Amino acid sequence: MLAYVGRRVLYLVPTWLGLSLLAFVVGDLTPGDPVRSYFQRTRGRPPTAVELARMREQFGLDDSLPERFLDWVAGAVHGDFGISFSTGRPVFDELSSRVPATLQLAGAAMLVALAIAIPVGIVAALYRNRLVDQVLRVGSLLGASLPGFFLAYLLIILFAVRLGMLPTLGRGGLPHLIMPALALGLGDSAVLARLMRSSLLEVLGENYVRTARAKGLRERRVILRHGVANALNAVVTEAGLTFASLLAFSSIIEVIFVWPGIGRLLLEAITQRDYPIIQGFVVFAGTVFVLINLAVDIAYVWLDPRVTLAADRARQAGAAP
Amino acid sequence: MRRTSMVLVAFLLLLVTPAYGAAQPRPSGPQELRVGTGEDSYDVEEPEADVGFTPRAIFETLVQMTPDYEVEPSLATGWELIEPNTWRFQLREGVTFHDGTPFTAEAVKYTFDRIAEAGGGPLRLGPESTVVVDDHTVDVTPTVQNRRLVEQLVHPNNSIVATGSRPGEKPVGTGPFRFVEYVPEERLVVERNPDYWDEPAALERITFRFIPEPNARRLALEAGDLDVMLDVPLDAVTSLEARGFVVDQPAPGLYEAMYANISGEAGYTILQDENVRKAVAYAVDRDALVEGVFDGLAVSEQTMVPARLLADAAATVQGYAYDPDRAAQLLEQSGWQLGGDGIRAKEGKRLTLELVNGFPSSQEHGVVAEFVQAQLKDVGIEVSIVTTPDAGAYEERLNSFRGDLWLERGNQNDANPAFLPALLFWEEGLFGNIGYQPVFAPGWPPDVAEPRVGDGAFDRVIVDALASPDAEEVKQLSARAMHLLIDEYAIVIPLAGLIRAHAVRPEVMGLPAHPSGIQVRFDDAFIAGSV
Repeated sequence: MLAYVGRRVLYLVPTWLGLSLLAFVVGDLTPGDPVRSYFQRTRGRPPTAVELARMREQFGLDDSLPERFLDWVAGAVHGDFGISFSTGRPVFDELSSRVPATLQLAGAAMLVALAIAIPVGIVAALYRNRLVDQVLRVGSLLGASLPGFFLAYLLIILFAVRLGMLPTLGRGGLPHLIMPALALGLGDSAVLARLMRSSLLEVLGENYVRTARAKGLRERRVILRHGVANALNAVVTEAGLTFASLLAFSSIIEVIFVWPGIGRLLLEAITQRDYPIIQGFVVFAGTVFVLINLAVDIAYVWLDPRVTLAADRARQAGAAP
Repeated sequence: MRRTSMVLVAFLLLLVTPAYGAAQPRPSGPQELRVGTGEDSYDVEEPEADVGFTPRAIFETLVQMTPDYEVEPSLATGWELIEPNTWRFQLREGVTFHDGTPFTAEAVKYTFDRIAEAGGGPLRLGPESTVVVDDHTVDVTPTVQNRRLVEQLVHPNNSIVATGSRPGEKPVGTGPFRFVEYVPEERLVVERNPDYWDEPAALERITFRFIPEPNARRLALEAGDLDVMLDVPLDAVTSLEARGFVVDQPAPGLYEAMYANISGEAGYTILQDENVRKAVAYAVDRDALVEGVFDGLAVSEQTMVPARLLADAAATVQGYAYDPDRAAQLLEQSGWQLGGDGIRAKEGKRLTLELVNGFPSSQEHGVVAEFVQAQLKDVGIEVSIVTTPDAGAYEERLNSFRGDLWLERGNQNDANPAFLPALLFWEEGLFGNIGYQPVFAPGWPPDVAEPRVGDGAFDRVIVDALASPDAEEVKQLSARAMHLLIDEYAIVIPLAGLIRAHAVRPEVMGLPAHPSGIQVRFDDAFIAGSV
């Protein structure tokens, strides 16, 4: 097991190299000059010829692509991911100072999504094909189809402007978290609800459930302990992957609610052609996906004793006489 | 009779008295203002750390710009040009920085030396440019002749900082408010400076919240999380006013215009014909644009440089009346005949123009591009709209000449009337070639004897405008330059003069808008009792 985990973690290295090279190349191909963008943004005017030359030199923009990439890799190995073109602060600091906010938002959105998806999925499965099920399925389809930003504005207009119950923006206590978490989590709740429903239906048709009923257990215990508990495997693992994507794609919600997370930083970096930030983000997001995938795989082994890792299975087969 | 007239007088007095007794709004309640502004554009990296687009609170400049674009004393009380290129400033006495140190010529030298170290900027300062003559007199000699220095000094980027201070870490200025706290991309908090050299502000505290997304900013105002919203998008004004907010609209400080690609490069040759350029100019109904697209919140000003800045000289620019017949006539003169489908053609080639939308971003232009497209269709010109996702992509496209008409929005942030035409259309370029010259400048390239459009008059006028020591003459020359670009060459096709507005809760008073949004002052603002 340890060897397996170790190997998977090592796979991160080629992932990093590949992702960062891709980010570098795509950045280079994208139209737009970071220096001009910087001046337009901070001083409202284009740079003079002197300023342009100075800044290009400062940012190393006149070196060739291979030179710049190797410089970056050499630095990255020491944890130095370069300096942001827009703020001059280390990329690592810019990213790491914002990750907690995004983690908080993604975590809350995940909770919202599960809190909605699990009960909805269960009810839809239990009352399969009845009116309740149809309503819930259409509802969840609507929820999945609504773009996040549209939902965000609807929520703000309702709860902040009309009702004055919640603050419109910024990060703070629970009241500040509610709307962004809802806007971000609702879309995924629909997908998870449908998964909960189908997973539960599948499990309820299994032999061991029939056995449990035959044993005379109360229906409720059958459903919850034998049905849902097993159906949750699929949902939880999917939720893990959803969490990874919430971390990486929270940008628009963060911009609307002025939430100081990495998603907002990324959007600004793209407009400003702040390549070091973009590359740093790509590496970060790639790492998150790889690690969460690994965690999900391990969790699956733990949740479902029937599943063994391929490596372990081979070992067991080899060890058995 | 006498009795009647006495009664009449008494009655009239009674009518008038309530007006005298009516309450003038006065500050009431906690004087803490919450202002929503755009993205955080502070640059805090020393030594280039600048003071960004600080709403004028912490810092002041040597001179300031009124809403009429006049240059007024601020930290400098007087100035004169000592030939050939030295500006001597008399500095205001009795001014202290927020840290208690006195404002003297030393501070001006420190500030300008920082600007020089960062490259000198449009002021063209060098390390030896600023010389302290005495405590309240300083000489500034730019590295190249710069007669427009004083008009440029109104820009907040040139604010005076305390000697030895590092504004990126802790801003220390002379302004009516002191720095309290800065959380990057979240907020900037300032408090009243009780030792301000002029009358202290009424507000005790201002919190500027950075909210880049205009919809979010506006919703925050509507929900009561903000008292003031800066940079109101023009399509929000009517609905904000309907909700009881006061939207202050100053004179235009921005313009909306199209530039015509006269380079003939990359196959874009149609607009090398002046008749076609003028036809485009005549084909647009600017009044309909102002009413329909800008909701009446723009004016059909056609000077590009704000007319207020050009003052009386603005009349030199005639602009274009809406005259589709004239447009058709010009096109026919050039051989573009109407085809069966309503689009003109010449020698088998359709009259199709590519309109690039736009600068600084396509969202800012709303539906202007579509409006122009519809108008030009009426005279037989087919317009295909190319939308660039952001400024970087737009500039790249500009550098490769791929487009006929270029939709731009620009603004005037200092008092130099020649700034915009010199920056964009002068063959030498105020900052050199910034990518606009090869596409639009009539005299490009600079070393060629025959200008591609006109007879070189434009470049000569710009040189004179930049070198003139007389402020009035600069306005006249700049107006003449715009007249050439607009009326004669039709390289610039003006569409409207736009307004930079801000919206406030009705209780907020004393906050007039300024055509250049970054010059809004908060020292007279206060929160009155409920209205």
